[in-house]
Amino acid sequence: MQIFKKQWVLLVGLVFISSCKKDVFVDYEVNPLGLEDKSLIKDRSKTNKQFISILYTTLHQQAISSNRLIRTERVIESFGDKTLINEVIVSNYMNSGEVILPTNEEMRADLDQFIVDAYKLFFVRIPSEIEKAFFINYIEANPNVTPELVYTAFASCDEYYFY
Amino acid sequence: MKRRDFIKKAGLTAAGSVAFPYILPSGRLFARTTAELADHVVYVLFAGGVRQQEAVLKRYLADSQGVDIEGNIMYNMINGAPPDRKIVYGTTPAGEPTGSLPIPAILGTTLQSQGLLFPEVQAMNGGHYGGLTSLLTGNRSTAQGLKVRPNVPTIFEYLRRHRGFKASDIWFVGSGIGNSFPLLNSSGHESYGTSFGANFVAPSITFGSEGIEVLSDAKVYHPQEELEPIHKMREFLNNTFRIKNGEVQGIKNDPDEKAKIKEFIRQTFNKGGAIAKPPAGSGGDLNTIAYAAEVLKYFKPKLLVLNLTNVDGCHSSFSNYLRSLHRADHGVGWLWNYIQTEVPEMAGKTVMLATPECGRNLNPNPIQDENDWYAFDHSGDYNTSRVWSLMAGPNVPANLSVGGESNRVGRTTDNVLTIAEIFGVKDAVANAGFVDPGSMSLFDRI
Repeated sequence: MQIFKKQWVLLVGLVFISSCKKDVFVDYEVNPLGLEDKSLIKDRSKTNKQFISILYTTLHQQAISSNRLIRTERVIESFGDKTLINEVIVSNYMNSGEVILPTNEEMRADLDQFIVDAYKLFFVRIPSEIEKAFFINYIEANPNVTPELVYTAFASCDEYYFY
Repeated sequence: MKRRDFIKKAGLTAAGSVAFPYILPSGRLFARTTAELADHVVYVLFAGGVRQQEAVLKRYLADSQGVDIEGNIMYNMINGAPPDRKIVYGTTPAGEPTGSLPIPAILGTTLQSQGLLFPEVQAMNGGHYGGLTSLLTGNRSTAQGLKVRPNVPTIFEYLRRHRGFKASDIWFVGSGIGNSFPLLNSSGHESYGTSFGANFVAPSITFGSEGIEVLSDAKVYHPQEELEPIHKMREFLNNTFRIKNGEVQGIKNDPDEKAKIKEFIRQTFNKGGAIAKPPAGSGGDLNTIAYAAEVLKYFKPKLLVLNLTNVDGCHSSFSNYLRSLHRADHGVGWLWNYIQTEVPEMAGKTVMLATPECGRNLNPNPIQDENDWYAFDHSGDYNTSRVWSLMAGPNVPANLSVGGESNRVGRTTDNVLTIAEIFGVKDAVANAGFVDPGSMSLFDRI
């Protein structure tokens, strides 16, 4: 009985000692970094004017004329399904012979760099390793995939509508 | 699962099944309430502001310019003999006075004789956008702002949500992109909205000089070797991107519908403008009507809404207004004939419904045209609220007129419930709670 009493007192004493422990703040002297990739947070939709202006510059490496911009914008407004009509516009550009594209050989010679460049060109960000891996594997496995098809997919995907 | 959780979930399921008994895969919330009356509807927004006097009242110049000449210049749609003097509403043969040759009638039997006329209907809104919004939502739209989508659901959304139609089943063919017309293909309502909107096209731009420049040279990709990789890569890109606020604007067609619409665009450009047109020529409303016919022939849509506008020239020229009214009648008659003769899948199975969005003033403004005739605005007097509705097709009583000049029957907001009834979802639309409570299906007005 005496032994139990002593143990009881010891236990209560331990609880009090541990519960009153002071927090220790460790400072590693590095800047705090968020784990989320901020470049993926694009929640503002491009207006038709922004979309077409950026698209034209991306594909032609030069600015669109104001007259052409207005006429293209009116065409987009004249159709209900914006993604559909934008796909047709991209396809029209691709057929014009004015789009600046790497050749198929250039693309396949350095796929890693091609993917990084495409992400920077269209999305203004560096691709993640998963994204790079997907495209490298996909393009290597499909010999009929050309830079034009890759660019068309980038120009018509959801991320390209946002900034 | 804990007993308490089980009871809670079972209770919620039971309550849900009572409150929402028919949540179907198609997205319909309620079962159809009545049998369908027709397979297709062509809804003509006979818009621009049409004075009652020159339309169903057939007064020609008598009630506008103080010239005692009456007559009917809409003889494809409405019964009555045309004016016999001072002919300015027709086309212009070389060397002849402007508008001196009336356009021959296309229909052997007028739409009025084939169907149902409400000659004195109340327009619920005196402006173009508000009036069109009322015609498409069945709501008075008194709180509707310009340059924004309708506040309450449109007939497009009702039919897609409650009847389960696909996007490519529902088309809105507009006369242009001004006056916020493109925004009318769906409301901004959170429970309906663009996910249930209509495919909109303004042919004068999409297939006009701007469209030719921007769209006509589009590449035709090989479905397996080129399109499939594009879709695969895009799908990956879309999956890795998380849209946090909202989504890509506009209505959505599924991949098969998209492919079909792209093919329609390609085929239409390939025709190089050589499409079927009303005989009186093209341009303006007749151009819009001709492309609406192309949409009908290609898609056989369940609902096609066609918006006309040229009669609004009445703000500055009464003579041009008469010509536009006459041409609009010609175009509508031609379209009806086209459906019956050139689109076998829709012939005899289509209801056509036409209503102006608003009337025009009783008294003129000071602007005179080349004939010294005064022009008319639409600024909200009683005459502006006077319009008509005309309907023909299967299950529509023939040669029946309901109401008259001294007995107003019907409202412009009735049309939404009328179309809903044709497709068997009238109760679902009425129960949604957005249609003007004083409105009824025109079938119920008889």
